[in-house]
Order: sequence, then structure tokens, then C-alpha cells
Amino acid sequence: MPTLAPPQKRRVFPVLGDRVFGAFGMAAALLSFGLFAWIVWDLARLGFPQLSWGYFTGEVEDSGRAGGIGPLLVSSLLILVCCLGLVIPLGVGCALWLSEFVKRRSVAARLVTGGVDLLASVPSIVFGLFGMVFFGQVLGMGFSILAGGLTLACMILPILVRTTLSALESLPADLRPAAAALGLTNTTAIAKILLPAALPGIVIGITLGIGRALSETAALIFTSGYSIRWPETLGDSGRSLSVHIYDLALNVAGGNTMAASSALVLLALILLVNSVAVALSEHWLRRRHQTP
Amino acid sequence: MNPSALSRQNELNCSTSGSGCIVDCGTSNLCVSELSVFYRDHSAVRDVSLNIPTNEITAIVGPSGCGKSSFLHSLNRLTDLIPGCRVTGSIRLCDGTEITHPQADILSLRRRVGIVFQRPNPFPQSIRRNFEIPLKEHGWHNRDIPDRMEAVLRDVGLWDEVSDRLHKSAIALSGGQQQRLCIARALALDPEVILFDEPCSALDPIASGVVEDLIHSLKGKVTVAIVTHNLAQARRIADHAAVFWVRDNAGALVESGPAARVFSDPLDPDAALYLSGARG
Amino acid sequence: MTSSKNTSLSRSIDRVAQGILGLLALVSGALVVLIVCFLFKGAWPAIEAGRLESFFADPKWQPGSVRDPQFGVVSMLVGSTLVTLLAVALALPVGVAGAVFHRFYAPPALERWNRRILELLIGVPAVVFGFWGLSVVVPAIVRFVPESSGQSLLAGGIVLGLMILPIITLTSQAALQAVPPAQLQAAAGLGLGRARTIWSIALPAAKGGIGTGVLLSLARAVGETMAVVLVCGNIPQIPTSLFDPIRPVTSTIALEMGYATASHKALLFCAGLILVLFTAALVGWLSFRRPAIDSGTGGA
Repeated sequence: MPTLAPPQKRRVFPVLGDRVFGAFGMAAALLSFGLFAWIVWDLARLGFPQLSWGYFTGEVEDSGRAGGIGPLLVSSLLILVCCLGLVIPLGVGCALWLSEFVKRRSVAARLVTGGVDLLASVPSIVFGLFGMVFFGQVLGMGFSILAGGLTLACMILPILVRTTLSALESLPADLRPAAAALGLTNTTAIAKILLPAALPGIVIGITLGIGRALSETAALIFTSGYSIRWPETLGDSGRSLSVHIYDLALNVAGGNTMAASSALVLLALILLVNSVAVALSEHWLRRRHQTP
Repeated sequence: MNPSALSRQNELNCSTSGSGCIVDCGTSNLCVSELSVFYRDHSAVRDVSLNIPTNEITAIVGPSGCGKSSFLHSLNRLTDLIPGCRVTGSIRLCDGTEITHPQADILSLRRRVGIVFQRPNPFPQSIRRNFEIPLKEHGWHNRDIPDRMEAVLRDVGLWDEVSDRLHKSAIALSGGQQQRLCIARALALDPEVILFDEPCSALDPIASGVVEDLIHSLKGKVTVAIVTHNLAQARRIADHAAVFWVRDNAGALVESGPAARVFSDPLDPDAALYLSGARG
Repeated sequence: MTSSKNTSLSRSIDRVAQGILGLLALVSGALVVLIVCFLFKGAWPAIEAGRLESFFADPKWQPGSVRDPQFGVVSMLVGSTLVTLLAVALALPVGVAGAVFHRFYAPPALERWNRRILELLIGVPAVVFGFWGLSVVVPAIVRFVPESSGQSLLAGGIVLGLMILPIITLTSQAALQAVPPAQLQAAAGLGLGRARTIWSIALPAAKGGIGTGVLLSLARAVGETMAVVLVCGNIPQIPTSLFDPIRPVTSTIALEMGYATASHKALLFCAGLILVLFTAALVGWLSFRRPAIDSGTGGA
């Protein structure tokens, strides 16, 4: 047994290091806990006094220094409708094809998933450039709610594909042979069995996508535009709530408090949407655990 | 003062008496009395009293689920890592340190009572770092570390195999080499006791033989307690044996004593059947 | 007879369904190619006219000037790089420390709330972050450094850093959770203290996962527009101090696309193209790296 000089150095690290890690870690954790409250508090302090029923229904006046956000809420909603109208069939269809019709490791599947993953990395301002040229100029939509919605659809497509795909992949593996054994066609099996079973995951994906779409600004500046009138058709330009905050903060002197009000409304909407996603996923998770 | 030298001196002062499972810390390095281990309200080990003699090899055998590993892990408070796990009773080191004491210095305790696990678990860093991290933590001087590392690597017969790639990842070694590295890493801290938790069961037969010979060679240098499923192995290397069995839904010690006697002439009927290979 | 008829009918329905779904998948996968093509198309006039040279060589960015139009993008590239690096430099230690706290110090009951709060933070819109930065962070900087305008590299770094903080914290937490329990057991068996276990065992083992989080947040930060355009001051210059205003590439596109014409517009598309290539490279590196992370824990 080799015997060597035993420990002689004073050991500082074990105690001091532990204290430092603990203190710094707690401060860091508190920061992320506190940050959210801090943001909400500031927005509420600045923006809450302006909130009233009239604020939600009224028109924008004096470039946003007065009045309400009625038309903007309608525009935001319409943009969302256009967005979902494109992204749901596209995203769900893509995920279905990937999970039911091609092998996971085939070249085609890899190319498509690779393309979708790359799409997820594209900065939102670039989606704005693309939407402006493709939907606005090439397809002749100009600055319109439709162009904005379709641009957002491209942007949230990866979220929907990913969540739908993982919902389909987490289905029990014996569903498919069971359907085949009953002589069901692929189409029937997908429409009647797989899609209903994967619906919870798809709905969660859609909710997450809505949250993302509501908060997006950069992709909308050059596609759905700045118009603050009540939109009449999908071909009209319409300003979303997020673009309104941007415009007030950057271009309108004295628009600060009204920007805070709009930010507060937007934040509340997004919190609502995200809570719905969380509640849904927990609800479905619990139900899945209960059924044997 | 070298703690292990101190313990050896203590041992000389101890009066020599016969081995057995009575609570008398005669020639024993670890004296366990009335030890029980609970996981929440379920008791995994109940009322075990056992002496683990100094610088000899004590084999702990028994069927799966009889609490051998829980017992072993409580000997250096690794049971602390398991949420809901509670240990009662007394475990005393030779110098009187009470291991189960809530205020015991766990970190220096674990330096004195090392452990080698079933699956080799080198840190996924260089071989050298595997020694530097624990040695520095326990206060060795930087300049002493290379010599220390070489000495223990020679002890486990690994020096010639790895001396030219100490900067390479320990993960790249074979399973048997990794396990010898883990033994060397435990030895490097100059412990008084090393616990082995089925150290060969994850290895192929040849590597298993090498590690077994290595453990055997520790006899006379350090106190060894080894949990093993391999009765033949226990027969080959153990000086003392302890047989665990499930009694009333909890692990209990049913037989202990000199290995030759326990293996040839067990008193407990369950132990006799188990050791003869008829049960368990 | 009816049955065979039905069979052939349903076969063709299957084939049509497969065709439609395949087409949808093709569109989804090809969308990114389409985007790059249209960026190229938009950028082509500038590339064709040989403007790319002035893009990188001109010292200034004054595309609107009639007498001396200059198209130097370097100051904006530097601005983007600096603000992104600053954001990561601020968020990385805080995020990792927070993750360490939750893994090794905090009671497990806190974990659920922690995750919920971080997910809420990720959901906060960038424009809200930007606005909050403008009305809180910028005045705070002015208070400490009265001679600056507040809208600066530092403000951008802080706001962006807070934005990517939850991403880094969550990925670091996942990486720390994934450290094999055997490693922690080995550390405990050798009598290593908590601080040493974290510093020498857990963090090195989680390095790969933390790196993934950093790359993800780099891609996010470089492409971010709204948070920086409101707080960075938007003056295209190479900053000499933390308190100088800067103008990242994304801000330039957002600010000028509305009125840009001809070659100016084409250059903005070039800038967009650079952004896409950069983030695509980051993401490509990430997927290339991923297998290497998984094999890090393999034993014999």
C-alpha cells in the first residue's frame, strides 16, 4: 500500500464554493422568477389606467395617442384565421405523410424534415421580406391581411409539423396493424383512427402556433401593413396589435402609455392562449394515464 | 498524521478477541450494530450487527433483494442520496467515529470508506482528471498528485497499460480496465475500508478474474467488504463471510463468521441451502 | 363483385390521399428553398450590378444620400455580432447558475413552478420585451451614465440576454438532468462535495447540452428584430464603448424596407440572405453535432 503525505492543504473550495454556487444560483433563479413579474408590473403601471370598454372597441385616434384598438383586434383575429387556414392542412398533411407514408430514414423524409427544421431557423424579419415579395408582389395580394396571415403560416409551420409528428409517433404502435387487420384502407385508418387519436397533440401544436403568431411583429410590417381602419375584406391592409406596439414605441412621440396598454392586452391574450395549451396537455396527459 | 496509520496503531491497541457477530470492536475496522435501513415505511434491512475485521476480506452473500447492497451503501452514507431513505443503528469506525451520526463529516468519511460500484463509473474525462478531481478535493498538493496516481495505477496493474495515454478519455478503456481504474481511484484517497458492490458482475470472465485477483491482493493492506452473487468467488477470496436472507419482508443477517466455517458448516438452514446451491 | 369494385375504388382513394399528402409535405419541405430563392431574386440586382463589393468595402451606410451613396454593411454586421455575443455572455452564466440551483439546491417542489415561469417568459412577445427595455432598461442606463442616450449596445445586450435567458436555463436544466446518475454516485463515493461535484463532474458532463442551448439562443438572438430595434439607438457605426448606439442587420431591414427602392432594396435583400445563411449554418452545425453529444456517456 503506497502511503503518501496525507491531506495538508486547507480545503476552502468545498465550503466556500458551495456557498458561492448556492447564492449565485439562487440569485439567478430569482431573476428569472422576478423578471416576468417585473415586466408585467411595469406594463400594468403604465398601461392599466387607459384600459376601458371603449379601449377595446374604439378606433385608433391621433396616431394611437388616444382612442382604442378595436380595428386592430379585428385585424389580428383575421390575420390569425388566414394563418390557421393555411397552416393546419399544410402542417398536419406534411406530418401525416412523414409518419404514415414514408420510412423515417428515407431520403425523401430526411429532405422534408431537414427543410422544415431549416425553416424553423429562418429569422422572422426574413419571413417578412419573403412574404412581401411572394404573397404581396408575385401573387398580387399587396399589403393585406391575407398576405400577413399566409406569411405567418409559413413561420409557424415547423411548430405544427413537429408537434403533430410527435403526437402521431407517440400513438400505440399496434393501432396501425389493428386497422389493417380489419381491412381498413390507409385513408380510413388515418381519418377515422389515427387523426382522432392524435388530435390532442395537434390541438396543442395549434395553440402554441397561435401564441407565436399573435406575438409576431417583424414578419407583419411589410405584409399586412399599418392601416388602422376597420378591415372590410381580407384584401385590406390591417395593423396587428403587435405592429401597433412597435409603431407607438418607435414612431409616435408620447405614445408610451398607450403602447403599454396594448402590450398589456397582447400579453394577456398570449398568457391565455399558453395557459389553454398547458391546461389541455395536462388534461390529456391525465386522461391517458387513467385509461389502462 | 496519516489517518490510516493512526487506525492501524489503534488496531494494535485493541485487544484481540475471536471474530463473530457480537458487538465488540476487537480487530474490526467497522463495527455495525443493530443497523436498519428503511425506504419510506418499507424496511429493507433490519437489525444487522456485524464486525468487519481490519485488513481482511469480508464477503457478503445472499439472494437478490435481501438488502446486501442497501447494507453496503449505508456503510459510507451513500443511502443519503436516496430520497426517503432512513438509516437507524450504529456503525463505528475503529477510532470511534460514528458513521450514522447526523453531524458526521460525510465527505471525509467517504474518503476513509471508499466504494467501487457494480458498473465501472469513471468520469467521462481524461484518466488523469479522474485522479486529480478527488485528490484535489481532499487536499492533496498538486505536486504530489502524479506520484500518487502512478503508485495506485501500479497497484492495480494498470500503469503499463495506460501510462502513455493519461490524457485520453477514461471512457475509451475496456470494461475491466475501467473497473480497475475505479478501484485505483478509490485507493488513491488512502481509505481504511473499501466497499465493493458486485464489482465483477458487469465484466466478462477474464476481466472478472483480473479484478478478483486485484481485490485478493488488497488483503492485509486495506479492509475490504465485498457484496457478490458469485459464491465461488466468495469462497476463493473471503476470510470472513456474512449471509443475508429475507426474514419477515426485510433483509437480515442469518449467518456470519470465518469464511471456511460458514461455507463448510453453516448453522442456519436457509444459509445452508443457499450455500449448497439448492436455493436462492 | 361489389366488393372488388369497392376495393379498387378505395385503392384509388388511398392513392389520391397519398398524392395530396405528399404534395403538402413537398410544399412544407421546399418552402425554405422557395424563401432562399426569393431572397436571391430580390438581391440579384445588387449582385448583378457588382454592388456586393461596396457592400463590404464601403465604410459607411448612407444609401439614401444622392451625392455620395454608400452601402457599407460592415458596421451593422459588427453591431449584430456584438449585441448577440453580449447577450449570450450575460445570459449564459445566469442561465447555467439558475439551472444548477434548480438541479442541486432547490427543493423539487419548486421545479414545476420554475418550468411554468420559464415557459411564460419564452412566450413574452419580442416587441413587448423591446418596449419594456425602452421604458425601463434605457432610462436606467441613462441614470447611471448620464452622458449616453441610453439606447445602446448595452441596452440591446441586456434585453436580448433576458430574452434568451429562459432558453439557456431550460436547455441547461435538461442537460444537467441527463448527467448519468452513476457519475454523481461515483462522485459521492469519492467524498466529493456538492460544489466540486457540480464544477468538475456535472458541468463537464452537461457541456454538450449547454452548448446546444447556446447555439439555439445564438440563432434566436441574431435573427431577433423587435427587441433590438427599439433599444439599440439605430445608428450604423462600429461602437467604441458599451454605451454607443449600434444598428444590427435586422433593424436595418425593418427600418428601411418600407421606403427603399432599386439597389438600396436589393442590398437589404442581400442582408436578409446573409442572416438566413448564418442561422442555417448554426442550425446545420447543431444537427451535425447532436450525435456526438449522445455518444458522450457510452461505456464499455
